[in-house]
Amino acid sequence: MAKKIGVFICTGCSIGEALDTEALARVATKEKKIPLCKKNAFLCGRQGAELIKQDVVAEGLEAVVIAACSPRINYDVFDFGPSTIVERVNLREQVVWSHPADDEDTQAMAEDYLRMGITKAQASELPVPYLAENMVKSILVVGGGLAGLTAANEAALAGYRVVLVEKEPFLGGFAGRMYKSAPSRPPYTDLEDTPVAGLVADVEASPLIEVHTKTTVARIEGGPCLYDVTLEKDGQPSSFRAGAIVVATGARPYDAARLDRLGYGRYANVVTGVALEDMAREGKIQRPADGKPVQNAVFVLCAGSRDPGHLPYCSSSCCVESLKQALYLKEQNPDAGVYVIFKDIRTLGRYEEFYKKVQNEGVIFIKGEVTAVSEDGSRNLSVEFADLLLGERAEAAEVDLVVLATGMVPSTVDYAEQGAEDCPAGNVPTVQQPVLNLAYRQGPELPALNYGFPDSHFICFPYETRRTGIYAAGSVRAPMDLAAATEDATGAAMKAIQCVELTSRGAAVHPRVGDLSYPEFFMQRCTQCKRCTEECPFGAINEDEKANPLPNPTRCRRCGVCMGACPERIISFKNYSVPMIGNMIKAIDVPEEDEEKPRIVVFACENDAYPALDMAGLNHLGYNAWVRVIPVRCLGSMNLVWVADSLSKGIDGILLLGCKHGDDYQCHFIKGSELADIRLSKVAETLGRLQLEPDRVRMVQVNIMDYDKVPGILDDFAERLVEIGPNPYKGF
Amino acid sequence: MADNSASSGRLKYEAGFAREVYGMENGSYLKLCMQCGVCAVSCATFKIMDYSPRRLFALVRAGRKEEVMKSNTFWMCTTCLMCKARCPRGIPIVDVMHDLKGLALKQGYVNYPQAAFYQAFWQDLAGRGRIFEGGVTARYFLKRGPKDFGKIMAQKDVGLKMLSHGRLPLRPPKAVKGKKELMQMVAKARELEQKGAN
Repeated sequence: MAKKIGVFICTGCSIGEALDTEALARVATKEKKIPLCKKNAFLCGRQGAELIKQDVVAEGLEAVVIAACSPRINYDVFDFGPSTIVERVNLREQVVWSHPADDEDTQAMAEDYLRMGITKAQASELPVPYLAENMVKSILVVGGGLAGLTAANEAALAGYRVVLVEKEPFLGGFAGRMYKSAPSRPPYTDLEDTPVAGLVADVEASPLIEVHTKTTVARIEGGPCLYDVTLEKDGQPSSFRAGAIVVATGARPYDAARLDRLGYGRYANVVTGVALEDMAREGKIQRPADGKPVQNAVFVLCAGSRDPGHLPYCSSSCCVESLKQALYLKEQNPDAGVYVIFKDIRTLGRYEEFYKKVQNEGVIFIKGEVTAVSEDGSRNLSVEFADLLLGERAEAAEVDLVVLATGMVPSTVDYAEQGAEDCPAGNVPTVQQPVLNLAYRQGPELPALNYGFPDSHFICFPYETRRTGIYAAGSVRAPMDLAAATEDATGAAMKAIQCVELTSRGAAVHPRVGDLSYPEFFMQRCTQCKRCTEECPFGAINEDEKANPLPNPTRCRRCGVCMGACPERIISFKNYSVPMIGNMIKAIDVPEEDEEKPRIVVFACENDAYPALDMAGLNHLGYNAWVRVIPVRCLGSMNLVWVADSLSKGIDGILLLGCKHGDDYQCHFIKGSELADIRLSKVAETLGRLQLEPDRVRMVQVNIMDYDKVPGILDDFAERLVEIGPNPYKGF
Repeated sequence: MADNSASSGRLKYEAGFAREVYGMENGSYLKLCMQCGVCAVSCATFKIMDYSPRRLFALVRAGRKEEVMKSNTFWMCTTCLMCKARCPRGIPIVDVMHDLKGLALKQGYVNYPQAAFYQAFWQDLAGRGRIFEGGVTARYFLKRGPKDFGKIMAQKDVGLKMLSHGRLPLRPPKAVKGKKELMQMVAKARELEQKGAN
C-alpha cells in the first residue's frame, strides 16, 4: 500500500543554518525513496503553504510530512483538508533550538526524526468518524435548582432541547427558598430578590424545555448522544434518549445535629442559617422557643466547617449568606445587637463592599472560637468564646438567637453510620447517594475527587466529571454561592452543547477535542483478558458474557489506554497504533557500540511533557542529543512491547515523561500515567530475564512548568546509561 | 510601657459603649474597622501606648468602657497621620482619637498630664484668643497639683534661658480683635460637631 507522500523541509527559523538540509533531504529521497521532497525558507508563510497545497492537488499526495516547527503550533496553516494526512517533524523546538548548530549529533537527531516522521506517515490512515444511529442532541438536566434552571435555560436559548428533572414537586431548589439574595450588581450593597422566580418563569415558558417534577432518574445507559434515560415518576417509568447530561443536584446543609457543642438540638433558640432564612421569608424573625422578639443575636460562622472533626473544607458561601441574614435582623430591628463570630471573613471580590455595608449597619464582627452555648431559666442564651483578637475568654450574654452557619455537603453523598468503616474522619459524609443510576461498569454514580464532590480537576477539566458527557454544575461540584453557581451552570451547559455537537460528528471531546480517530478492535485475536475493559478510565468498554470487549465509542476520550493495555496488540487507532510506534522506533539509526553514542527513546505525554520539551527549546535550554522523543497521547497508551522493540533495536535506555498521578493527579486521562507506572514495575522482571539492567527504563513525572528541569532529567538519565554501559543487544 | 494584657475575668460583650462612641463625630467610622492591625504597626508611639489603636477599637466594640477611657492610647497619639494614611478601610483614626480625647475630658477621665495640658491650653486660648506661655504653664501646674512641683523646678533652667532671650514674655499679650466673634465661631463649630454626630 504505497502511499503518495510528500516531504517538505522548512529552512526558516535557523533550521537551514544549523542543519545540513541537503543531507536531510537525501534521507527522504534516497533512504526512504520519497520522490517528492522540497525545501522552503518560510513554509508557514502564505507562499510556503500554497506550495504544499499545489503539490497535494497536482501530485495527488495522500500524506505530507512537514519538517519544521512543533506540531503544537501552525496546525491551522498546515491543514490541507480532511483527506490529507499531515505528519509534523519537530526540527525547530526539539532539534535546532535545543542543540548546537553544525554538529554531527544534531544532524543525526534531525535525520532520525525525519525517518520516524516518514515511517509514521506511511503507516497512518485517515480516521473515519464513528457515527451511530439515532444520535440525539437534547440535554438532560438533573436538578431544578438555580444551577439546573440556569443550565436548562442557557441550553434552550442556544436552541437545544432540554429535559429538566426535579425530584421535588416544584422548581427552585435551595435558592428558591431564600428570602433575599446577596448583592450581585453595583453598588454591591443592597439585598436583591433571588433570580430563581424569573428563571422558573423562563424555563416554564420555553418551548424547548420539558419539565418533570416529582421525578427521579431510575437508570441511564449508553454514552454521549446515545444516553437511554429512564425516569421514574410516582413509580411509573418512562424512557427517552439524551445527548449529554448536566448534573445540578446541589448540596444539602451540614447536619447541625452533629454540632451539639453549639447547643443545636438542646436549645430551641439555636437555629441554622436555613431555618433563619425560612423565618425571614415568612416575614418574622423571632425566638423559636417563645416567640419573643430578637434583641440580641449571635451568628457562628464556620459551624462545622474547616474543622477536621466535621467538614474539613470551606463552603465558600456561608460568610456572605450570614452577612445577608445579619442585615435581615437589622432591617427588622435597627437597634438589635448583632454579633458575628468568625474564623475568617471570606468575602471575595465585590462582596467586600457588602461586608463594609453590613459593618456600617452596626453589626459587630469578632474573630473568635465558640467554646460553649448555654441557656438560663428564661431561655436566654449565653455564648462563650475565645476572643482571638483581644486574646481573652469572652461572653455574649442575654442572646435571643444563635444562628449556625453550616456548610454544604454535596447531594451525591450522605453520612455513614457513626463508627462505620467508610467514616474515616468521624462525621465526613462518604456514602454515595443514588442520583444518576448509571449502568456503567465503574459504578452507578459519579466518582468523587475530594470530600465527595464529583469534580474532576477543575484546571484541566473545567465543569467536567470523570464520565464523558456528564457535566456537574453548581454546589454539587464544589461549594459555591448563587453568582458562582449561575456561572458554573452556564459553563456546564456550554460543555454539554460542545459534547453533543462533537459526538454527533464522531469527534472526541476534551481534551482531544475534534479527534476523529477511535480505537478499533481486531476481535479474532482477542483473548478475553479484560485488561482493556478494566483499565479504561472512562468506562467506555463493556463486556459481553464471554468477556469480549463491547466498546462505547461515544464515551471514549481517545487516550489509548486500552491500546497500551492490550497484550495481543489488537487495539489500534487509524493514526496511532502499536506497530506504528514500533516502526518509528525501528526507524531510528542506532550507531555501533564503538562509536560510544548511546540512544535514548523518550515517550513524552502530548499534554504536558511534550509541550515542556518544546518550551525548553523555546528557551534555548540545551540537552543531550542522544534522545529521540516520541509523543504519545497519554503515557497510559504506552504498550510494553515498545520497550522490547527499543531494547532489541539496540536503544540504550527508555525514558517515560508523563503527568503527576495520585490523589492530586494531573493526568488528562485520570489514571493513564498511573497505569504506565504500574506496567513499568512489571517490566523490570522481564529485563532481568534478558540480562538487562532495570535502570534502562525510567519514568519521571513532569508538568508543563517543569520545562527548566526537563534538560536536567534527560541529562541525568544519559549519565546513568553511560554508567551502565551500552545495550548488549546492539548490532543484533 | 504599660501593661498591655487585659484584665482577668471574662470579657462581656455589650453594645452600649460602642453605640456611645459611634455617636461621636468620627466615631461611626469605627464600625468599618476590620482589625487588620496596619494602624498598630504604623504607629510611631505604639510602644508607649497601653493598647494599640487596633486593640483599643476592639475594646470599644466589646463594650469595655473603663479600660478604653483610662488608657493612655489616644493621649499618646502624636497625630502624625500615618495610620490614617494607611488604613485600608479609610478610617480617619487621628480624628477618632481626637473624639476619644474629647469624650474622656467631658466625662472626667483626666488623670494623664496630657489631659491637663489640653485643658490648660484651651482655657488660656479661650481667654484672649492668643496663647500666653506663662499662663498655660501656670494653669497646667495648678491643675496637676503639688505632685508635679518637682517638674517645675527641673525646668527652671530652660525657663531662665528663654527669659534671657526674650522668648518668655512676663506680661500676657493683648486679646485678639473681635474676640467675641471668635467665640461665636467656636460655639457654632461645637454646634455643628454635635449635629454631625447625630
